[in-house]
Amino acid sequence: MKTRTVRSGVALAITVGMVGTLAACSTSGSSTSDDQSLEVWTRSAADAAASYQLVFDAFTKKTGIKIDYKPVQEFDTQLQARAGQKDLPDVLINDAGSLGNYVSQGFLLPIDRTTIEGNDQISDATWDENVGTDGETYGVPWSRQANVTIIRKDWREKLGLPVPTTWDELTALGEAFATQDPDGNGVADTYGMVVPGSAQNGYSIRWGASYIFQAGGGLLKDNGDGSYTSVVDSPETEQAVEWMRAQFCTPGVVVPGSINLTTADTPFFAQGIAGIYQTGPYNISSFDTAVGAENVEVIPMPAGPGGGVTSLAEGENIYFGASSKKNDLQKQLAEFLITPEAQEIAMKVETTDSGVVTQPVVRLPVNQNVDVAAVKDDPRWDVVSQAYSDSQYFPYAIDFLPFRQIAGDELNALLADCNSDIGAGLKAIDAGFVAELDNQGLSR
Amino acid sequence: MTTLSTGPVTPAERTTRSAGAAARPTQRRRRFTRRSLIPWLFLVPGLVLGATFKFGPMIEGIRMSFVKVQPFLGDIFIGFDNYAKVIGDQRFMDALAHTVLIGGGQTIGALILGTALALLLEGTTRRLWFVRTAVFLPVVTAVAVVGEIWRILLFPTESGFVNSILGMVGIDAQGFLSDPNTALGYVMVVGMWISAPYNMVIILAGLAGIDRALYESAAVDGVTTRQRLRYIVLPALRPAISVVLTLAAIRSLRIFTEVYVLTGGGPAGSTEVWMTRVYSLGFKSNDLGVASAASVLLLITTLVLTVAVRMLSNRKERTR
Repeated sequence: MKTRTVRSGVALAITVGMVGTLAACSTSGSSTSDDQSLEVWTRSAADAAASYQLVFDAFTKKTGIKIDYKPVQEFDTQLQARAGQKDLPDVLINDAGSLGNYVSQGFLLPIDRTTIEGNDQISDATWDENVGTDGETYGVPWSRQANVTIIRKDWREKLGLPVPTTWDELTALGEAFATQDPDGNGVADTYGMVVPGSAQNGYSIRWGASYIFQAGGGLLKDNGDGSYTSVVDSPETEQAVEWMRAQFCTPGVVVPGSINLTTADTPFFAQGIAGIYQTGPYNISSFDTAVGAENVEVIPMPAGPGGGVTSLAEGENIYFGASSKKNDLQKQLAEFLITPEAQEIAMKVETTDSGVVTQPVVRLPVNQNVDVAAVKDDPRWDVVSQAYSDSQYFPYAIDFLPFRQIAGDELNALLADCNSDIGAGLKAIDAGFVAELDNQGLSR
Repeated sequence: MTTLSTGPVTPAERTTRSAGAAARPTQRRRRFTRRSLIPWLFLVPGLVLGATFKFGPMIEGIRMSFVKVQPFLGDIFIGFDNYAKVIGDQRFMDALAHTVLIGGGQTIGALILGTALALLLEGTTRRLWFVRTAVFLPVVTAVAVVGEIWRILLFPTESGFVNSILGMVGIDAQGFLSDPNTALGYVMVVGMWISAPYNMVIILAGLAGIDRALYESAAVDGVTTRQRLRYIVLPALRPAISVVLTLAAIRSLRIFTEVYVLTGGGPAGSTEVWMTRVYSLGFKSNDLGVASAASVLLLITTLVLTVAVRMLSNRKERTR
């Protein structure tokens, strides 16, 4: 009888303990409006988070407002979870491309740009990118960038080849990297281009978009009245896809197997396996560390058939969470982040006290008073600036995610098969776009 | 509830009852409450955990399949629209075809391989015990790890492990997982490699149950190995094989990890299966409503299959 009492007591204790834990889980995370702190989320790995931390430290020092900073890698999944609790972070810093998606889910507060101190230091063109389909502005610009072509300079020079200025020369360089043993180890173990060609998250179209633009093609056309038209099914786009497929189908020009790879699986440039990578400039600092800054060459986009050098632009915005009551603090943080001071901190590669080398989180400053070349002290960043001056972005105002996925899936399929019917593939993308435009109420 | 059970009472009972009636009811009731409470108390942790982490999410998933999921703005009920979307989506239908193809191919392949392994490794010597353990390793290794290793082995360059071996005997480098025509086949091969040893164990158990006397009398009758296999071993293995097939068929419908790690559903969607499609819709496109609808359809299919198999096997048992 005694043991039974003890046993049931223990069982009861365990039960109470467990229920207690569950209850505790569900009550955390609420914030009150009168405390002087902001919860800020960014989609960053450790090295980028270290860069953000430096900026936020400077903000806290200046204003006394505490930042509860959370770098979140699975950003959108976690954000959905928080949205379910109707308690969004006060400030979100994430892709400009997420703007339309977030607005459609009601995550964001509109911003009156004229009330933001220092708004005149950002160009109107940059501000206009953040205007939603309803005419309201939804994000304060934070960083902008355009894709560039990065090349292993030492390999190129060893083979005595010029900087490629056209698509054909780029192909020739890729082939030479694959066949002429640029690393001189006597083994044919190097390749031309690094391509994250997977359909997942539309990686293939993020790589391919620049070439489509360079050939004079496009994906969606903004009609200026809140409606969009699909322009993907054009001879120019067809020409671009044909060229891209030729790269995949010429042995060695693209790292084999790239058709299944995402950016996380393509460390080939840093590993010295491949020598050409068309990607965002955020990679420059890590490539410098991996293969030596003197070997990392950033070149202007090799021109497409009509001479086009347009590249894909992307960016990050500062968004105000819709459930936050701390509108004044949100504004103060945004105003600080667009100052030359904050932009410059976030552009520099620093080593923190704990020994982390930061990855700059502002690639190209949105503040026009910041001189990129002076801050970076690196002529390669002039190339990045120039690339941005001739660039196109996927429209931020609409929920572009489904479009990116449609185009990414189909482009992946076209590149996977050397005998694919490109005309039919583009028609399929076009049909998908038209249906999605209808679905989002964006067709004319 | 013994005190409330009143039926036709015999005179004999009536006397015994009335004798203890004064003292026992209160005692009985107390014993009843204590006794029946304790097992429930022990069950509570399991029930709470089950309700919170299994049944709660399941019910929530069913609810989400009927709404347009907008966690912040509030969900909108849209009836069967999500289901219509799933059924009308060509990629889901392709994924279904791939799932069935992988399921069928992998199940049969793993069964043949498992049976072959079991026949080879049947016996009681210590050496066999060691080999059997080694063969069983893929089953206890994390599928994600196995997938990652196979991806490295099947890397489609000349320097890839399998390709370099093929190169030694003069075969050109193969595309393996990066070729849309062969990717599905190689995913199946990896799946067979993972599940064959599991089947081997079940079939080994089946083999151990065969009466040795049958072998001996067969030997006396002078049968060949093939005849022995055909007329003694396979009939005796029928229950084991039906267990293996049922488990594999149900398991293969929700195949995810191998495919996700090996190809992510690519290239050109050639290896996309039901669950990878659900995953990319739910967590990449944030379309949780449609993803839930697809999951519910999978649940129903699995349920129907399981019940059907149970009923079939029950009927067989009864006719036996």
